[in-house]
Amino acid sequence: MRLFLGQRAWVLQRLTALVQLFLLALGAATLLIAPPLAYERWYALATSTHGAVLIVVFFATLALHGWIGVRDIALDYVHPPFLRLAVLTVVGVILFAIVIRVVLTMAAHFAGGA
Amino acid sequence: MRTSAGAAPKFLNLLQIRFPIGAIASIGHRISGVLLVLSLPLLALALDRSLRGEAEFAALRDLVSAPWRAALLVLFVWAATHHLLAGIRHLLMDAGIGSGLPQARTSAWAAIVAAAAVALIAAARWLS
Amino acid sequence: MRLSIYRFNPESDLKPHMQDYELAPEADDKKLLDALMRLKTIDDSLSFRRSCREGVCGSDAMNINGRNGLACLTPLAGLKEPVVLRPLPGFPVIRDLIVDMTQFFAHYHSIKPYLINDTAPPERERLQSPAEREKLNGLYECILCACCSSFCPSFWWNPDKFIGPAGLLQAYRFISDSRDTATAERLAYLDDVYRLFRCRTIMNCTEVCPKGLSPSHAIERIRQALVRESS
Ligand code: HEM
Ligand code: HEM
Ligand code: SF4
Ligand code: SF4
Ligand code: FES
Repeated sequence: MRLFLGQRAWVLQRLTALVQLFLLALGAATLLIAPPLAYERWYALATSTHGAVLIVVFFATLALHGWIGVRDIALDYVHPPFLRLAVLTVVGVILFAIVIRVVLTMAAHFAGGA
Repeated sequence: MRTSAGAAPKFLNLLQIRFPIGAIASIGHRISGVLLVLSLPLLALALDRSLRGEAEFAALRDLVSAPWRAALLVLFVWAATHHLLAGIRHLLMDAGIGSGLPQARTSAWAAIVAAAAVALIAAARWLS
Repeated sequence: MRLSIYRFNPESDLKPHMQDYELAPEADDKKLLDALMRLKTIDDSLSFRRSCREGVCGSDAMNINGRNGLACLTPLAGLKEPVVLRPLPGFPVIRDLIVDMTQFFAHYHSIKPYLINDTAPPERERLQSPAEREKLNGLYECILCACCSSFCPSFWWNPDKFIGPAGLLQAYRFISDSRDTATAERLAYLDDVYRLFRCRTIMNCTEVCPKGLSPSHAIERIRQALVRESS
């Protein structure tokens, strides 16, 4: 099953970690420039094109990174093939649903503009 | 005599094995990774609430009013800090930076202590 | 000195148990192996492997006070008492401190631990420059004692599929060899979730290697070589 590729998963886990590291640094910098974060400012930031796209990217990479991590854990501790498939499917579906949920949230509030 | 592998006992009592500090940092990274995955649905819901209006946004700030929620938040703060620091340590070591044993031991200690300190500060603020 | 030793006799025991010993070491008993040899004159049913008694053959690896090491290289001075001795973690126990190494060596053989080079051999040997030879330092010294693989959590969970630190160090020894021409095939074999990618850089292997080698560093280099290969 090519689901269990070696190097590609390892590289993806590192790349998604780097993306998150960058986004977290960006978020921290935004907070540091003008604390504390008030509702109006947060809403304007989050619903701008930049903000909305970055938030979706953040959750999508989080889900991918988390799925690879859970897959690694299942490969170590969950050995019966059926149980392993069940765990990976359930976690995969839930993570996917989370990303869809975030996309819907951002779409509902999307304001456009920079 | 050779016993078949199925019949032979194995010694693998984790409580009787002395783990080096790197192993502690590593299992902490794994536990914190699982906690972060578990918190993802809540994070997505919090994002949704934060955009629903002034009152909902303010309600999120009030998360720590109930002690059990504050305790969960402290756990989340530990998990996020430990995973972040241990994750950065991993990325550097994969690139060949600090992957020698003495440096790796030091960085493992540093990640564990720093995450514990941040969690303690959070606990002191929210739980007292 | 006091010792507490894991005992299991497949002919009479259903389960292993710990047995306590009191021993008065003599003046020239310097290493743990000396004490074990003396213990054997008192209780000849006690079983362990040993040969070279100087850290060369790799046969007396065991778990000493919770950490893997060679009895022959472990000084008696400074050992916390009672000295608790158990067989290598995660390996099937044949008897007392003797474990079954079949799977460990099967992993070693799987990485083709020999030079592969189909080009016509030169008149004399295949020469290496001092710089090329230098790359084998820290790799060729491995004595296959299994201290590392048996201390690796990833190996505990998948001993049948993960090659383990010892085998991977050897794989890298041949990948680094300027005389070997099978580097691409070797890397392709290792690019697998189980064989190489179960390693989580815990570094337990490097912590316990009695020869001071660093399997985790070899694994890091293999991963980097794979990334270079595919980019
Ligand atoms: C800046 C943020 C993050 C960084 C730098 C980071 C880094 C890493 C790295 C490098 C690994 C691989 C470690 C290994 O091979 O053992 C990893 C594993 C993992 N990460 Fe993250 N991560 C981050 C955020 C997250 C988040 C937010 C989650 C949760 C959704 C998460 C969940 C996991 C899980 C479950 C694993 C698997 C642990 C294991 O294999 O033992 N990570 N992380
Ligand atoms: C009938 C004659 C001999 C027999 C049966 C014999 C047998 C052996 C054996 C069984 C070993 C151990 C090999 C190993 O497992 O490492 C050994 C090692 C050795 N022998 Fe001999 N040997 C003989 C003659 C010699 C002679 C004449 C010399 C020197 C001039 C010599 C020098 C050595 C050395 C230096 C080693 C150690 C090699 C090492 O470091 O492993 N042997 N011999
Ligand atoms: S790398 Fe070290 S611990 Fe592992 S088998 Fe070789 S000598 Fe023993
Ligand atoms: S670094 Fe890799 S091979 Fe070494 S003990 Fe850790 S998981 Fe095992
Ligand atoms: S007896 Fe040979 S390595 Fe210890």
